[in-house]
Amino acid sequence: MTFRWLPGAALFAALSFTASAQVPDAQMASAALKQYCVTCHNPQLRTAGLVIDPAGVNSVSANAETWEKVVQKLRSGSMPPSGVPRPPEATYKKVAAYLEKSLDTASAAHPNPGAMPHLHRLTRTEYKNSVRDLLALDNLPKEMDYEELLPADNATSGFDNLADLLFVSPVIMQRYLDSAGKISRLAVGDLKMPELVNIHHMPLQTPQDVQQDGLPLGTRGGLAIHSWFPLDAEYSFTIETDGNSRDAHQMEISIDGVRVQMIPVGGPGGRGARGAKPPEFRIPVKAGPRDIAVTFVQKDEALEESTLRLSTRGHGTLPAINEVTIRGPFTPSGRGDTPSRSRIFVCRPDNDAAEPACVKKIVSTLVRHAYRRPVTDSDISDMMPFYEAGKKDGGFDTGVQRVVERVLVSPQFLYRIERDPANAAGAFRVSDVELASRLSFFLWSSIPDDELLDLATKGRLHDPLVLEQQTKRMLADPRSEALVSNFASQWLYLHDVESKDPDLFLFRYFDGVLRGAFERETDLFVNSVLRENRSVLELLTANYTYLNERLAKHYGIPNVRGSYFRKVTLPADSPRGGLLGQGSILTLTSYSTRTSPVLRGKYVLENLLASPPPPPPPDVPALKTENETSGKALTMREAMEKHRAVQPCASCHARMDPIGFAMENFDAVGQYREMDAGQKINGIADLKKALIRDPERFVTALTSKLMMYALGRNVQYFDEPAIRSVVHRAAASQYTFASLVEGIVKSAPFEMRVKDQAPADSAKRTAVH
Amino acid sequence: MMFVTKKSLARRTFLRGVGTALALPMLDSMFPALSAAPKATPRLGWVYVSNGIILDDFIPKQTGRNFDLPPILKSMEAHRDYINVITGLQHKQADTQGDGSGDHPRAAAAWLTGVHAYDRTRPGAVVKLATTADQLAAREIGRTTQLPSLELSVDVPSQGGCDSGDCFYVNTISWRNESTPNMPEDHPRIVFERLFGDGGTSAERLARVKNQGSLLDSVTAEATRLAGTLGAGDQRKLGEYLDSVRDIEKRIQSAEVEGQASLELPDRPVGVPDSFDDYVNLMFDLQLLAFRADVTRVFTFIIAREISGRTYPQIGVPEGHHSVSHHRDDPALMAKKGRIDAYHMLLFSRFVAKMKATPDGEGTLLDNCLLHYGSGMGNGNLHRHQNLPNLLVGKQGGQIKTGNHLKFENDPPMSSLLLTTLGTAGVNLDKLGDSNGHMKLEPLGLS
Repeated sequence: MTFRWLPGAALFAALSFTASAQVPDAQMASAALKQYCVTCHNPQLRTAGLVIDPAGVNSVSANAETWEKVVQKLRSGSMPPSGVPRPPEATYKKVAAYLEKSLDTASAAHPNPGAMPHLHRLTRTEYKNSVRDLLALDNLPKEMDYEELLPADNATSGFDNLADLLFVSPVIMQRYLDSAGKISRLAVGDLKMPELVNIHHMPLQTPQDVQQDGLPLGTRGGLAIHSWFPLDAEYSFTIETDGNSRDAHQMEISIDGVRVQMIPVGGPGGRGARGAKPPEFRIPVKAGPRDIAVTFVQKDEALEESTLRLSTRGHGTLPAINEVTIRGPFTPSGRGDTPSRSRIFVCRPDNDAAEPACVKKIVSTLVRHAYRRPVTDSDISDMMPFYEAGKKDGGFDTGVQRVVERVLVSPQFLYRIERDPANAAGAFRVSDVELASRLSFFLWSSIPDDELLDLATKGRLHDPLVLEQQTKRMLADPRSEALVSNFASQWLYLHDVESKDPDLFLFRYFDGVLRGAFERETDLFVNSVLRENRSVLELLTANYTYLNERLAKHYGIPNVRGSYFRKVTLPADSPRGGLLGQGSILTLTSYSTRTSPVLRGKYVLENLLASPPPPPPPDVPALKTENETSGKALTMREAMEKHRAVQPCASCHARMDPIGFAMENFDAVGQYREMDAGQKINGIADLKKALIRDPERFVTALTSKLMMYALGRNVQYFDEPAIRSVVHRAAASQYTFASLVEGIVKSAPFEMRVKDQAPADSAKRTAVH
Repeated sequence: MMFVTKKSLARRTFLRGVGTALALPMLDSMFPALSAAPKATPRLGWVYVSNGIILDDFIPKQTGRNFDLPPILKSMEAHRDYINVITGLQHKQADTQGDGSGDHPRAAAAWLTGVHAYDRTRPGAVVKLATTADQLAAREIGRTTQLPSLELSVDVPSQGGCDSGDCFYVNTISWRNESTPNMPEDHPRIVFERLFGDGGTSAERLARVKNQGSLLDSVTAEATRLAGTLGAGDQRKLGEYLDSVRDIEKRIQSAEVEGQASLELPDRPVGVPDSFDDYVNLMFDLQLLAFRADVTRVFTFIIAREISGRTYPQIGVPEGHHSVSHHRDDPALMAKKGRIDAYHMLLFSRFVAKMKATPDGEGTLLDNCLLHYGSGMGNGNLHRHQNLPNLLVGKQGGQIKTGNHLKFENDPPMSSLLLTTLGTAGVNLDKLGDSNGHMKLEPLGLS
């Protein structure tokens, strides 16, 4: 795409806004609104459906929704529109500050935490993590991947945990039933477990000539498989290879680092000839989580061979693993000794007399964690018929397995449930036990642990000091990794990287490994900012990132060797620091054949500045593809310029495009370039400066997204005062991630709810008294 | 757990996928007919393609019986006696009603409802659509089958960037009721397990079905008790849960009653095939199997969902589907979108061919079904919900005359065609969405 640099002024205009703490009086605000806003936003014209009553500034709470809209427009600098007179900058800021202050004061007097749904179904991710923590069961066999066990949830507005979109239909219910059966049999160990067929596919374009991350030194290529084995039993391993070699190669299978099988491939009499039946081996494996490595022994000839020929899977003659299929269990010898069984069987009855007490102990422990609250008698009596039936079929263990199955389909496991106390009126604090679940699902995307549940049961969790201490503890716990893998990846649309297919003809150096490296870099980077408690502004400005050799080469950064990722400090003039210089974000905001300044601008406005451009009007005219007079074909860039020149397109593109053009330093797969179509580009540095000139804007955007994720509902106008308060308070600690999380945990929307059955339709309510 | 079938299946059926043939051995002896097949069992299927269609390559130049098949329809040549091309219909309810963007979600939402989908992300809005045509059919002709309906998709559900923001509108075209979308299955093995159970011997499967029956009884009691403690409001979510539990319970009961026959199961397909061709074929093969075994009589199938960004390098379109659909009348891009449209039709035509090759009653499955292929958008470049592409395939036991191109003037609602489609299967409704009576499909002999 051709490119003409937009002057820095346009960029700053697109991002302009600065806060002011000074609060002028209502009169000044009223006068300014009268002079600059009501020309369009009056009861007659009702431009954009908005009517501003300047006299209303004295009682903003009466019309909070409208005033929050006004604040949003002022803070994003998008109103009055270009070409219409604006007040002096100082007045402009003062009006915004006055309105905010008034709204915040009103809200503090009468907080409106919003109506949270009473039932909140677990998302697939939450279900997975809850099973992991409830049953000590993780890395399910491939056939039982959660992505296959349960359907994906709806990610609307970016997040999949919004309560009102977590539907249950017969299809999903059937999946819950089937999953409960499979998971319980896996966790307890079922000697009659049907055979599983686990196909581990080697992604195309994975280099097979070098040692792979997670596989033993001295090997090349291959697959590392982390998988749960259901029983102490034999399993069949089938290894399908591609390519053939006149030279002999050695393939090896190892389990937990111990080589269990060597397999000759290629060479005279070797295996792996095209069309030959892939070799199959029966190998005894102990039940539980195992690390399997299937790989080639590195040898010099292989290196030479690989330098001469293409070496990714499916190319060349160097034998490469195509897929590994693990079937089983066969001829089981026992249920084995697994982390799950240790977790579930908190006791073992020595004799018949001891059995009832032990069963009750096992059931109560399970139910308490699964339902995330103290156990009642009816909880136990729900379970006992299943224990009895299972015991009749297969003894004590089978009885317990049926209880696990029953727990996993209970509505009290599948839903987070909050109740209104009998005497509830208006806004009130949720119970400590409910707060424990809000906290654990926010920070861990999972159930509370014993410490949290104990404090809640004792009624101590709402104590601000206890709450703060627990929040800190939970952020430090490895389970808070969910904030990166679940929150951040949804916030930043990182899942989209996987589905992006850059045109391989145009970007020949792009492959699955590079895509994986993009994901890994952002994952490690976000993890470091969030979990090492840095300022969230570093998400934009960090002077470091995480690279391996492949990615460093892609970025043109020297002296990074090897396939493992490590922290790399960037030179001062590097364009790379921060999310906007990362391949993941740059690729997911591009088309497969080219960059899109519009997509990138929209992405930044929406996700990093929380001021999404309004949707395009319904009748966008087709882009003119040729000049009207000369008939000459227009470039994309020229066509876009024509498009932008007309209203209503101009007003939004004036905000999106300068941002997107500033990112033109990076091509559609994130490679740096200084020239495009012969024209010089220089923008990313200016963009980053502009973005943090007013740090509150980015922090507000992030806080708003984090609030939405924490609550599992859309953020609404009455949440804005809480969000502003979190941001203001976090300023003192340089906007560390923990300060934002703690602010949210202690905010009214998080700690409270209103007794109000009306669903999200609260447009007519302004404050709850 | 669903493994009881009512019809015999021919010997040696193959599910092709993952580059290997997966044999389903001994089916004829394994699937005894449990009841005599009724005369011309009615069947309905809806197949969705997205992002509009290149209309010039879809709409035949001539109307009536003697029309030339345009490029997108070329692959239906062998079946032209079975098809009706219906053009000129619209879904007005998919247009904006001042709610701005969302042309794609509204297209998918209106397709089988004729109802306007409001953007839920606007403050105060709630999820509300309508029961879709396939579910209305399932309530009638799906009552006696193991699965009232099957919802399939071969497109990855979108997790973000859904135009209005409401991804559930684009990820499915089937709604159980006005607030519950039916999310489609996209994994061949899961589909297989829904149809035929999840392995083990038949005794083990029956034991599991029985166990699931008691689980459902127990959670029903628990949920009912729970409802008592929750107060009157906000019961919708629990209602969804209970409703789903009861739905499965009914099916399990019938499975237990009819499950006397001792069945061995064919091998399950194991993974999602690498190639899109194989994937679509496998999913259609599963649907074919479901028809043959009479496990279900109603299905929906999403070949491409709205705003799908799938790339099609195998037919020379490395760009994403959605971006190509905004071709801005650029001939090169239009040609690419046309290639995608023709390719989708080709994949569908293979299923049609297999339906035609499968005996059923006195004819073939194709004689005894009606398949409705189309999209909620006509011109995808401009997001138009007028001039929608509609292709009907099948004769529904002689309920419909075939072989015509019917061109309608003045943009009648597609909802009326849905009423007519349902009517061929004996599902008689007076109104669906914005329909204005049944579509008079002269000269189809339908009124």
